[in-house]
Amino acid sequence: MGRPGFVWAAPATLFFGLFALVPLVFVVVLSFTTWSGLGDPKFTGLDNWVAIFDDPILIKSLGLTVLFVVLALITQIPLSILLGVWAAGFQRNRAVLSAIYFIPLLLSSAAISVLWRALLDPNFGIPGQLPWLFGDGNLFGKQSSAIGVLTFVAMWQFTPFYTLIFQGAARAIPPVLYQAAQIDGAGTVSQFFNVTLPQLKNSIVTSVILMVVGGLTAFDTVLILTNGGPGTDTTVTPFYMYQKAFRAFDFGQASAIAVVLVLAATAISLVLVRVSGYGKMQSAQDGI
Amino acid sequence: MKNKQRMWLKRSVAGGAAIAVAVTMAGCSGGASAESRPENEIHVAVYGDATNKVEEQIVATFNETSDVKVVLDKIPGADYQQKLQTVISTSSAPDVFFNWGGGSIQEFVDADLLLPLDDFIEEDPGLQDNFLSSVFDTAVIDDKPYGVPMRGTQPVMLFHNKTVLAEAGIEAPTTWDELLDAVEVLSAKGITPIALGGADQWPTQMWYQYVYDRVAGPELFATALAGDTEVWESDESREALGMLSDLIDAGAFGTNFDSVKFTDGGSPALLRSGKAAFELMGSWAYATQQDADPEFAATSLGYTAFPAIEGGKGDPANIAGNTNNFYSVIKATRYPDTARDFLKLMYSDEFVQAQLAIGNLPTTTNTEEFLDTAANPDYSTFQFELVQDAPSFQLSWDQAYPPSAGTPLKVAVQQFFNGQIDADGFISAMQAL
Repeated sequence: MGRPGFVWAAPATLFFGLFALVPLVFVVVLSFTTWSGLGDPKFTGLDNWVAIFDDPILIKSLGLTVLFVVLALITQIPLSILLGVWAAGFQRNRAVLSAIYFIPLLLSSAAISVLWRALLDPNFGIPGQLPWLFGDGNLFGKQSSAIGVLTFVAMWQFTPFYTLIFQGAARAIPPVLYQAAQIDGAGTVSQFFNVTLPQLKNSIVTSVILMVVGGLTAFDTVLILTNGGPGTDTTVTPFYMYQKAFRAFDFGQASAIAVVLVLAATAISLVLVRVSGYGKMQSAQDGI
Repeated sequence: MKNKQRMWLKRSVAGGAAIAVAVTMAGCSGGASAESRPENEIHVAVYGDATNKVEEQIVATFNETSDVKVVLDKIPGADYQQKLQTVISTSSAPDVFFNWGGGSIQEFVDADLLLPLDDFIEEDPGLQDNFLSSVFDTAVIDDKPYGVPMRGTQPVMLFHNKTVLAEAGIEAPTTWDELLDAVEVLSAKGITPIALGGADQWPTQMWYQYVYDRVAGPELFATALAGDTEVWESDESREALGMLSDLIDAGAFGTNFDSVKFTDGGSPALLRSGKAAFELMGSWAYATQQDADPEFAATSLGYTAFPAIEGGKGDPANIAGNTNNFYSVIKATRYPDTARDFLKLMYSDEFVQAQLAIGNLPTTTNTEEFLDTAANPDYSTFQFELVQDAPSFQLSWDQAYPPSAGTPLKVAVQQFFNGQIDADGFISAMQAL
């Protein structure tokens, strides 16, 4: 057996071509047309592209999208590292508690959104019972609290997944590193910052890329929890694309927005891989 | 998982392309042919809500005697329009589908997707003659009928909780000033005067529809819709906005209305539980309340016409809402005769009685004789007279405008209510539609 030939890659390539590249080409074509879903698309040149960059709501949505990604990173990464490292240990009750923490992973986004919508109802949910904490409970009626709710629900939903990544990565750290650190007099905190964190570097880069790309396409929770509101205050770009396509039936402009998202997600992933040195696949355990 | 979301982007892209491919193919074959459609069944798509139990009953009745069976596809309400728009030109299109007549099917008619019903009516004149002509005409486009009325007419009314009003010692308001007084009394008692599902946006829009109609008459909106957007800047428009501001500033809707929905049962529950006293809502609110608590609907659910506004141009008898829903038939259907026979049930006694039993008001000519068999004869009679006596029936704004205006319209409506934009902001948003 030599190196696997092209034939080995054929099924995956075919799939990727059929379900990713071909549609992408169609979307790019559609972005130069006007089409409501009925009849044939009509070419309108650059009209859609001029329109979307002249659209204050799109510009605002791009800013909001970036904000949501940053909020997701600063809430989810530290929490999932701590939980993951803890779950990688051998404490009493760890298995039971870890199993409970992973429950959100088993639920669909729609179920999670409906659940939190009901729990956060201002009159019949948690805020209605805790007025000293939530005031009038108008969580979905103000931009700051609506963003807070979306960030919190994303954290609740996705932290278990990243915890799983960090648990696996933390388990893979050779115990000999900790033993050596102990001999050098490092305490628990010092071990965490000098051994565990550096060893998790590649997992952190992976998680950040997944979060950034996931955040750039987050849509379902926005649709169900806030519907982009109040006003357009939580209208992130993927949701705005949905509104253009399936509410306004302007598939041309929606496709133009889709292309913007694809380019942004690809560019950011490439930059992250390059800057972090992840692409070189360096070992974090040289010399062991 | 995050990579699921990544997949979502790919899938949405794939979806877009699939549509593009479908169009290309449709362009070649000239649309889906009857042979490619399922055998011995026709699909009827309806808007999913509490009224579905009548549709299920009618379908069951029809299937007892028909060889070609009717399959009822209930599409969750919030997704109805986009689902319809994306399937209607494909081979998965429903044979018969629910719609709002007029503007909601105009584009399908233009694309030559719908079956004109003249042949059906020639074979059975009852398909036209048994309906109130003013309602039937809503689905007549370019002099051809494209829809048969189904369900009922849905005027928007001011509902109230009788128990709450009695405890507060107030009567249901008949004028705007009485409404403002009621708001003051109820607020002082710690009750949210008016339940509002602001997160859904369209319930908020209902307040504009009525206040604009009362202050300026139906002409202002009709003029704006026809393209003369200057009228949004008129004194009457500003007066209407000022009155809405007064109501909001008086605390009529409380402070957290933008976190409440009608569609998830939030605002109806406020009214039912007595946490709120009023709700401005379409006639379907009766079925919604009856579904949740039949006892409450029968004894404590009150309703009145929208209050009159002194000095306003609009006739206080004017109403707003949905004139009716319709069934339309697609051209590609494999069994037009089955569709025709199914449509005949829309004026049957069984249909009229079943609709009346859940509080809907059909617009057939035999409706009046069954009014006393309704679940709540008083409610049905009240509505029937409201519709009969109304000089003007304003179609809901978001249905009157084309779909592309829907989102910006509802965003503006919400933003003016929660103070994100002022009157000038609202006016320019409406002018930009």
